[in-house]
Parts: sequence; structure tokens; C-alpha cells
Amino acid sequence: MGGRILLVEDDRQIADYVAQGFEELGYTVDRADNGRDGLFLATDSQFDVVVLDRMLPAMDGLALLKALRAAEVDTPVIMLSALGSTDDRIAGLNAGADDYLGKPFAFGELLARVQALARRGRGPAKAMDTVLRCGDLEFDRLSRQVRRGARKIVLQPREFRLLEYLMQHQGEVVTRTMLLEAVWDYHFDPGTNVIDVHISRLRRKIDDGEAAPLFHTVRGAGYRLAAD
Amino acid sequence: MVRLVGAVFVLQLLSSAAAIFFLRTQMVEVVRADRVRQVVDVRDDLLAAFYDGGRGELADFILSRRGSAGDPTVFVALTGGDGPPLLSNLDRVPQVAVGPRPVPITVRRSPGGPPSEGMAVAGRLPDGETLVVGVASTSDRRFDLAFATAIGVTTAVAVLLATLSAAVLGLVISRRTHEIAETAAQLASGNFGARLAVDETGDGFDHLRGQINLMAERIDQLVSQLGAVSGALAHDLRSPVTRLSAALERAMARVEEPAALEALEAARADAEALRTMLEAALEVSRLEGGAVQDRRVALDLATLAEDLVELYEPLAEQEGVVLEAELHAAPVLADRELVSRALANLIDNAMKYGGRRIVVSTRMQGGKGVLAVADDGPGIAPEDRARAVERFVRLDNARTRPGGGLGLAMVAAVARLHGGALDLSAGDGGDDGSGGLVATLRLPA
Repeated sequence: MGGRILLVEDDRQIADYVAQGFEELGYTVDRADNGRDGLFLATDSQFDVVVLDRMLPAMDGLALLKALRAAEVDTPVIMLSALGSTDDRIAGLNAGADDYLGKPFAFGELLARVQALARRGRGPAKAMDTVLRCGDLEFDRLSRQVRRGARKIVLQPREFRLLEYLMQHQGEVVTRTMLLEAVWDYHFDPGTNVIDVHISRLRRKIDDGEAAPLFHTVRGAGYRLAAD
Repeated sequence: MVRLVGAVFVLQLLSSAAAIFFLRTQMVEVVRADRVRQVVDVRDDLLAAFYDGGRGELADFILSRRGSAGDPTVFVALTGGDGPPLLSNLDRVPQVAVGPRPVPITVRRSPGGPPSEGMAVAGRLPDGETLVVGVASTSDRRFDLAFATAIGVTTAVAVLLATLSAAVLGLVISRRTHEIAETAAQLASGNFGARLAVDETGDGFDHLRGQINLMAERIDQLVSQLGAVSGALAHDLRSPVTRLSAALERAMARVEEPAALEALEAARADAEALRTMLEAALEVSRLEGGAVQDRRVALDLATLAEDLVELYEPLAEQEGVVLEAELHAAPVLADRELVSRALANLIDNAMKYGGRRIVVSTRMQGGKGVLAVADDGPGIAPEDRARAVERFVRLDNARTRPGGGLGLAMVAAVARLHGGALDLSAGDGGDDGSGGLVATLRLPA
């Protein structure tokens, strides 16, 4: 892994934990504790992802983001906010954020989202591919055919979308909330393991009887679809 | 109210009628006494004429215009003599028994004329003739007519006034009570700033309004204190909880020992539960404070519920719960995210608190969109239902199970925000608990 992250956060303790967390995983983390420094760093250097707090001294997160986008810097930005409501999320996304995470958040959730953004910034989007592959799993988005080797797999419409999202993000950790947002378009945490059960149903259809499982559970974070 | 006004109205009419009847009786009595006196006077005059001037003088007096004949109300008959009877103002001799006192009589003054009531007295003269003297007036009828008119007019005026006053009174009372009810409804729906205008007249309504305002003031204070405390608490706890989660996750990434990992995983799960609760508490504070943008769109509750049921169906199956949907079109204006969240809470609650069969239904009823979740669990006792939707309230039988006690409060807040309501009731089995719980969310179309 690895990559360069700009962390703009004025709560020193949270910034310490987040930075340490990323550094332990091999990321380089630059830090700013106010909006003005944050904007300066973000426009001046090349980052894979900017983690931006919504409420900052000197210049607030939304203003920073708008200035950044106005300067045509398209580094992926994930916004953090104590204001986790739908209103704030939409305001953040409208200002040009690529993702939004309400405080308090689990580090695993932030990590998964940052990784997804970093990969998206680097690699070509898989969004346009007609046929997605992961190991011997083949997923045809036009004919809506799913095969594992020679075996044809029949999926429900929602399972199809779930697998599509996992295939598009193969190799990445996707969290339950990311799936809930992308596949069901709900931006709340149902609090129970509803997603886990959907995943385990899909996993049985894909992995049962196979020598190499494609579904991997990442403890404390979510799931990863990968052929390794 | 209407019945009271009606009763007052009828009583008023009855008392008017009684007064008129009493007055008439009194007047009839006065007229009667007057006539008796008149009859006696006329008879005495006639007797005086008889004793002064003999029968000739009496006859002359009876027939001359100067005497009895000149007064149209007086009639006299002298009969029993040799010749035909002498009549004045009469067409024939009336049948009156000889006696000392005047008696009531009905006479006809002219052939074919109307009968009239009067008093008459008959006496025997020394020469053997009978002298009948009476007083009657043709005005009796007019008298009655006048009374009938008086009664009619009085009744009409009474009816008019009573109707008018009933209508005005009813309208005023109804308007004032509606005003008060409206404000009470606003208070109930969470608008704790609603107040009634006090007009300083000092009447009962004014007193009531003043007291309701005082009550509202007190509620407002308590609610904002509670909201501020729980909101501030949740807000202040967020950063430490975020750090706690992060620290635990980083620790988990470092240790290898299975026992340590297990302990950390348990702590992380608790931190996660705490985080979820905080988020829910903050969300409820936000919703109750009404600090939410209006994101309502036209949507069908049936579609919304279908999506949620689809989301929960695998979990229900795994838990051995039958999750059914009975969906009928219910187009409403609603915030999809919030109502979905509310429904998720209701399904979650139903599964958590013992439902083995859960039915999610949507329909239109009384112009409102209805979204109901019915379960066959132990239900909530009627006396506990109001409390069950309060923040952080968990009923006794729920205390041992996981959950933050915010689920129903959140659903109620979403309902209020939409101008709707959340009702808790027992299912078909009744209140003894066998009917389970039906949570019904009503949203304006």
C-alpha cells in the first residue's frame, strides 16, 4: 500500500491517531491544523487523498474545498464532520467532496474510504468495462451473466448490484456503510448486521464448493473481493 | 355544548309561555270581576227605576238609548209578563237561573251573530216577572286574538333571540376552544414555542389561556434543558469515542496473541455500539430541534417499504423470523432517507423484541399515507406506550437486550417532522400482549 495523504484536522488528538494509523500502514501523512495552511499545502503539493475536517479555524472546510476546486485541483477529498446529517453530507458533496464521513467514525471506515479514493485517483476507472473479472469469476454487465469457471450463477437483482460494486472495487476493502450507500442508497447505519447477511448469501453462491474463495472478511472493517 | 344551548333555549321558551299563560289568567280574572260589578250595578239601576217609577219606568229604561240599550255591552231581558218579553241588545231571552250572584253565560246578541261570553244575573220582580241583566262584549275574541298575537310575537322574538345567542355563543366558544386546541396540538407535535394570545379580559377563557401558556413555558424549558444536556453530552463524547475506536483498531493491528485480539475485538464492538448510539442521539436531537432541511419529495411508501423489506429479508430469514409485506400504493411527500431510517428502526425493534412474524404494510387511510409494522412479540402495555417513544426510555422487558432506547424516539421525531404521527397499539389479539405490537406511522399525502 502506501501513498501520500494530506490531513487537515484541528482536533490534535484525532489528527494524531488518524495520522499514526495511516503511517503504520505505510502512508506518508502531511498535516495542517487550520484551513489556510491546508489550502496552501493542498494546492502546492501532490497528494493521493485529502482528508478534510469540516470545521476548521482560519478557513472552514467547505470554503477550502471550494477554493481548491476553483483552482482546478482534483485530488480526491474525503470530508470529515461532526455534523453527520444528510444536509451536511449533501453540502459537502456539492462543494466538490468525493466522499463524506460523519464523526465519530471508525478508523477502519476512514481507511477503506481513503484507499478507495486513492485507487480511483490512480488507476483507470473500471466503471465502463462491460465484462468484469476476478480470478475465474466473470461478470457480464450487458447480458447480466455471472459465471465462476464453467458454473453459471443465478443472482437476484440486488445481489447482481452488490457483486458489481465488489467487482468494481476488487482488491479494496469495502465497508458495510460503503455498500449500503452504493448499492441501497441509504446513508444511515441500520445498526444490525443486515449487510453481512446479504454478503454471506452472495458469498455462498460464489464461493461454495470452490477451492479458492474470492470473498474475504476484513476484521473490524468490512469485506474484500480478491483472487489472491 | 350544543345540547346545553338547546336545553337553555327550550327552558327559555317554556318560561315565556308560562309567564304569558299566567298573565292571561290574571287578566281574565280581572275582566270577570269587572263584569260582575257592572252586572250588579246595571241591575241595581234597573231595580231603582222599577221601585221609583213602576214597570213603565223600567221598560222605558230598558229600551231607551239613554238607559241600557245605549251601552252595547249590556243586555237586558224582562220576561214572564203578559206581553212578549222586553229585550235590549238581545235577540232572545237567555236561559239564566234565578239567583243572587252573576253566572257565566254565552249569548247571541243578534240572530246569526257570533256568540259572546259574558256574565248575567236573573232576579224575580215583585210582579212575578223575571229580570235578566248581563254584560258581554264582542271584544272577547279580539282579546284572545291579541293574546294569541302577543304569544306568537313573544315566541318568535324568543326563538330568534335564543337562536341568535346560541349561535353567537356557540361560535365564540367553539372558536376559542379551537384556538386553544390548535395550540395544544402544536405543543403536542413538538412546537414548544406555540402560545395563546391573552386578552386581559380576565374571563374563564382568558384564565385557561394564561394557564396553558404557563404550562407550555414550563414544557419548553424542560425540553430544551433535556435536549441541550443530551445533545451536549453526545457532542462532547464524539471525539473521545472516535479516538477510542481508532486506538483499539490500531492496537488490533499490532497484537498477534489470540486472547488479546479477542478482548480488543470485544472492546471495539462496544466502542462501535457507543458510536452508533451517539450518532442516533445526535440525530434525534437534530430532528426534534427541527434543524433539518426540507428534503421531502413525492414518493410511494409502498416502494420505500419494498426496498427496506428487501434489505432486511435475508437477516430475518437467518433469525428465523417471517418478514412479510402487504403493500398498497401510498403516495406521500416524504424525505426518503429519514422515513427509510424510521422504518428500519421499526423493523429492527420488531425483530429485537421478540417478533417471530413481522408484517410491513402500507396503504392510504383518511387522506394520509400509512406505514405500519406489526409483530407478534410481547407488545407494549397500553400505559407504557407513551413513554416508549421518549428518548433513552427502555421498558423493563427491553432492558436486558441490546439497543440504545432511541429507535422509537427517532421514529416519532421523523413523524413529527413530516407533520404526521406515530401510534403504538396492540394487534388483533388485544391488549393482553398476545396481539403483539403495531407501530403505525401516518404521513400527510
